[in-house]
Amino acid sequence: MKQIFLVLRREYLTRVKKKSFLLATILTPLIFPALIGLVIFLGNRDSGGPESVYVLDQTGFYNEKFSDDSYTYTYLSGDLENAKQQFQDEGAYGLLYIPEISFDDASKTFYDEFEFYSKSNTGVNIENSFERQLRNVLEQVKLDRSGLDPDMINSLQANVNLNTYNLSDTGEAQESNSGLNLAVGYIFGFLIYMFIFIYGGQIMQSVLDEKTSRIVEVIVSSVRPFQLMMGKVLGIGAVGVTQLLIWVALMTTLTTVGFSVFGPSAAADMAGSQMPAEAAVELTSTQEQIANIQNLLDSVPIVTIVVSFIFYYLGAYFLYGAMYAAIGSAVDSLQDAQQFMFPIMIPLIISIVSLSMVIQNPDSQLSFWLSMIPFTSPVVMMGRIPFGVPLWELLLSMTLLIAGFVFMIWVAGRIYRVGILMYGVKVNWKTLKVWFTTKV
Amino acid sequence: MNILEAHNVTKNYAAHKALDDVSIEIPKQSIFGLLGPNGAGKTTLIRIINQIIMSDEGNITINGEKLQPKHIQVIGYLPEERGLYKKMKVGEQLMYLAQLKGLSNAEARKRIKHWLDKMGLTEWSGKKVEDLSKGMAQKIQFIATVMHEPELLILDEPFSGFDPVNANLIKDEIFELREKGATVIFSTHRMESVEQLCDDIVLINKSKKILDGTKKDIKKSYKSGKYTISYKGALAGLSNNFDILDTSELEDGMNESLIQASGVQNPNEVLKELISKIEVHSFVEVVPSINDIFIQIVEGGES
Repeated sequence: MKQIFLVLRREYLTRVKKKSFLLATILTPLIFPALIGLVIFLGNRDSGGPESVYVLDQTGFYNEKFSDDSYTYTYLSGDLENAKQQFQDEGAYGLLYIPEISFDDASKTFYDEFEFYSKSNTGVNIENSFERQLRNVLEQVKLDRSGLDPDMINSLQANVNLNTYNLSDTGEAQESNSGLNLAVGYIFGFLIYMFIFIYGGQIMQSVLDEKTSRIVEVIVSSVRPFQLMMGKVLGIGAVGVTQLLIWVALMTTLTTVGFSVFGPSAAADMAGSQMPAEAAVELTSTQEQIANIQNLLDSVPIVTIVVSFIFYYLGAYFLYGAMYAAIGSAVDSLQDAQQFMFPIMIPLIISIVSLSMVIQNPDSQLSFWLSMIPFTSPVVMMGRIPFGVPLWELLLSMTLLIAGFVFMIWVAGRIYRVGILMYGVKVNWKTLKVWFTTKV
Repeated sequence: MNILEAHNVTKNYAAHKALDDVSIEIPKQSIFGLLGPNGAGKTTLIRIINQIIMSDEGNITINGEKLQPKHIQVIGYLPEERGLYKKMKVGEQLMYLAQLKGLSNAEARKRIKHWLDKMGLTEWSGKKVEDLSKGMAQKIQFIATVMHEPELLILDEPFSGFDPVNANLIKDEIFELREKGATVIFSTHRMESVEQLCDDIVLINKSKKILDGTKKDIKKSYKSGKYTISYKGALAGLSNNFDILDTSELEDGMNESLIQASGVQNPNEVLKELISKIEVHSFVEVVPSINDIFIQIVEGGES
């Protein structure tokens, strides 16, 4: 045990003391907000300067009816040729042509007479926006002509919002929210997927480095190969856990600071003292919304999620980490490792691809089986848990995962102890099998 | 008293037999040459002694005790394929390796300082290994091997990678360690260093032990009764026991011949026979070098 600890400590300290670790750990949580900020910034800038759009309306219904933030509208008169000429000469962004429309045929509901000219390709958003505005006016006109009472029409419409609940065994109904569950499931599943790739790769690299630098024979004259492998897997795992904990701490701090500076409580204070009554009413509704969010958060089984995340994170790491270690020991270079990487990646890719299906349909057969098989269960089960998973399924899946990684560590250990001392051997699956069965 | 005894050690790999019924006895405080061509099974035997791999049959004792995990601390091993963590600092690396061998933190620090001073590498302690020259890295490697003061040192081709100056330095260290009580197993196929260093040798070829004993005894037993003589006069009319293998002319009417004396054990008798025929200027018994013996046996084994 002392030997494992010594190896573990070296693996851990050499990594944690690196500047790159510090940078990655501190910057990664900032990267996502920064990216989102960048996207919003670019998005705003894109539609920033209002462009000029000419409207040639020959129906007379659309005069001064267009308005949005993106464009300034100029209404032309005359025929299309003149309008086109003017549009060309004055360098406007686009020209919207609305020809005469006949309403004689009362059954006509499809209108494709409208035309839009622009110098560049029209984006889907712009197209949709124009279509919507064109339709709204047209509907209004048709409604007016029909002589029906607009209030009547409104009263005939119905909006529906389906409230979803989880009914627990005790018969207690709890409000659920698929959207939130979806997000939580996806994020945690994806985190596990990402960590396996990052830290599994590190295990493999580290084993390979020891082998190619030829220090491994010195080390295994003091430490059993299995101890070396386990120390390495545990040490690098500890680095991963450290990184995760720092992220959690950073994000919690950031969120708390963010909330206390810009958050709802600050707004409420301000409202109490200064805001006029009208705004206060609005505020009450935001407070209600916050309370709603709070309720929804309560509906997500946070404790279960956190505990299972830690469990599946470690389980997946051991399972895949052992395989990465075995591969690192078997080959002489990263290139040689490629042939073995593929079979490892397949179950991972299956997990992440099916994750989106699983969170759409967390109780399907596919979801069930994928969350039982140890190779896919960590990612997939994290996708299911926010929706509620029967306890027996959770326990069965966890037991299978434990059995899976214990077995995998055993297999990997047998390949590892032979592989690390083999140089210049052309390795394929058959060689691995021979090594596995070799008595050392 | 033998520090290490191996009895009938056999090791099979899937495709071949790496060691076949090999027994060796290594006396305490000796420098023991483990010789053999590449692929003979030397490294396999060393790995078994280091408990990196297990033998299929046979047993090994250290100081009369069955080989077991605690003996890891008794052994210092310098493998032929060796290296260090390139990105790790020299001092940290030695500390890590010392702790793996069971040294306490304080003791390790003391010994690292002592050895770095001795090798003139103190100022490199904070440098990364990748910044060291190859020779320096080899010295660090040697320090790592001997730092925990092992009773049994196993050095696999220890001089490869050293320039002659540093090779001598290491040679002196090996002698010094032996004086202090260490036993050295010295595995090599470079015979000149065997002549200089070893007391006892064992020769392994094709996974079998084919020769062992003290260097002196082995050389004696491989004496073949050949003599090199230089002389004036005509070498003729020697008795049947003598064959002239080779003759060449030297200046001043001198000749040099290689003769084979069979059935005659005592050099004096050879000399007596010669003196009666020619004027002997020099007379040297041809003693085979370990290299000659090695080649003779290995090639003899091939045919």
